[in-house]
Amino acid sequence: MVPPREGVRTFPPSGLAKTELVSPRTIAEACDVLSRASVEGKRAVLLCGGTDWIVDRHLMAPEKVKPVDTVIDLTKVAALSSIGFHEVDGARRMVLGGGVTYWSLRRDARVLGTVPMLATMARDVGAVQIQTRGTLAGNLASASPAADGVPALMALDGIAVLTSTRGERRVPIDGFFTAYRKTVLEKDEIITAIDLRIPSDGAIVTWRKVGTRLAQAISKVALAAVLERDASGVVTRARFGMASVGPMTAPLRNVRTLLEGKPLASIDRLALDAAVAKDVTPIDDVRSTGEYRIHVAKTLVWRALHP
Amino acid sequence: MIRLTVNGHPHEVDAPPLSRLLDALRLTIGLTGTKEGCGEGECGACTVLLDGVPVNSCLVALGQCEGSEITTVEGLAMGDELSALQRCFVESGGAQCGICTPGMLVSAEALLRDNEAPSEEEVRDAIAGNLCRCTGYQRIVDAIGEASVKLAMAKRPQGGE
Repeated sequence: MVPPREGVRTFPPSGLAKTELVSPRTIAEACDVLSRASVEGKRAVLLCGGTDWIVDRHLMAPEKVKPVDTVIDLTKVAALSSIGFHEVDGARRMVLGGGVTYWSLRRDARVLGTVPMLATMARDVGAVQIQTRGTLAGNLASASPAADGVPALMALDGIAVLTSTRGERRVPIDGFFTAYRKTVLEKDEIITAIDLRIPSDGAIVTWRKVGTRLAQAISKVALAAVLERDASGVVTRARFGMASVGPMTAPLRNVRTLLEGKPLASIDRLALDAAVAKDVTPIDDVRSTGEYRIHVAKTLVWRALHP
Repeated sequence: MIRLTVNGHPHEVDAPPLSRLLDALRLTIGLTGTKEGCGEGECGACTVLLDGVPVNSCLVALGQCEGSEITTVEGLAMGDELSALQRCFVESGGAQCGICTPGMLVSAEALLRDNEAPSEEEVRDAIAGNLCRCTGYQRIVDAIGEASVKLAMAKRPQGGE
C-alpha cells in the first residue's frame, strides 16, 4: 500500500471547502433544514446521487463555482426510496419516492410487474454506476431536456409531489418545467414523490432511446409513449414524453390531439409527421443535428403506434 | 471527521464533507488502486463498492459515506493471494495498460456477488460503465465468465462420489 502523501489536502473546489453537509433522516427534518436555510438567507443545495451536481462543481472553472453554505444530503431519508400503490377513482396509481434510483426501478418486482417500461428506461440510463446513484427527483430537478427519466414520468401522467414546511402541492410533470433548465420548484421545496397512472391492461407502452452507443450515452432523441384503446381500437388516451428535441421534455400535444378519439389504424403517416414537426424544436449540437432529430422523432412516434 | 470502513478497516477521514470519495481514498487514505479517469462519471475507472453497490467514487461526496462500508480493488485479494476473479483477468489477458482494470474488477465483483452464473449479456451490462481503450472488451468478458465458472466449481461440495 502506498503511504498517505504528506501535505496533500483533499479540498473540493473553491466554494465548497467550507460547505457543511447535513444528512437528515426524515422528510420533515429535510424540509425544516431547507426552510431554515432559506429564511436565514443561506445558499442551500439538495443533493441525491450527485451525478450532475458534483461533476459540474468539480469541472467548473473555480471562479464560476458559487459558494454554497449547506448541502442537504437526501440519500439517508429512507421515505424517499419508497415504492407504493394507491387507487384514485378506480384507477391504480404507483407512487415512487423522489429518491428512488434507476437501479431500484430496474430490479423492483413491483415496478417490473406493473410498469415494466420504467425498468427498460432505467436500464438505458448511463450504466450501473450511474443507475445506483441517479434518482428520479434529481432527474426532474436538473431539468435537462435530455433527461431519460422525465419522458417516462410524463407519458405515465406523472404528478410531482413537492413538499415544504408550508405543506404539499402536486404539479403535473408536463407543467413542471418553465424554460430550459427551469422548473416551478420553490427554494424551500423538495420533490418527495412522483405519483404515476398505471397504464390499463392492453395499453401499448413504449420506451426507445436513440444515442451513439447503448450505455453511457446521452440521447439524440428518446421517446416514452402510452397508448390506450377501447374495444373498437379507438385511441382513448395518448401520452408522450420526448427527450432532446427542444428546451424542455416535449409532451407532444399535437400528436396527442391527432390520435385521441380516432382508430389507431386510421392514422396517416403524413399527418402524424406533421403533428410531430409542430411539437418539436430540435437544435444542432455535439450529439446530433436538428434535421436528424426530427427524422428520428417522427420515426419513433410512428413505431410507437405500430409496435 | 468522517467515519467509514474501507476494505474492512475503520477510518476517520479529516477532510471537508464535499470532497470526493475518490480523493479521500487516494490522497488521504492512500489507496491509489482506484483510478481517476474522466472525473465526470463516464469511464468507471474510479468504481468502488459503496455498501456493496458499484458507484463512481468521483460522484460521491465523502460526507455521504459516513458509516458506510467501501470496497476498493485493494479489498479483493486475500493478503498476497489474488482472488479467482483477479487471477482470471491475469490469465485471460483481461488487463493491458491497467487504468480501467481496478474499476473493471470492482464492477465484475459486484456482478458475481449478485449473480453466480451471469450470461454474456449480463456481463457486458455490468461493465458497460467501465471504458477500456486497449482490450476491445472480449478478453475482459472472457475473464469474468471464467471467474464465474471457477467460483461455481469452488463452491461445489468436495469429495463424494
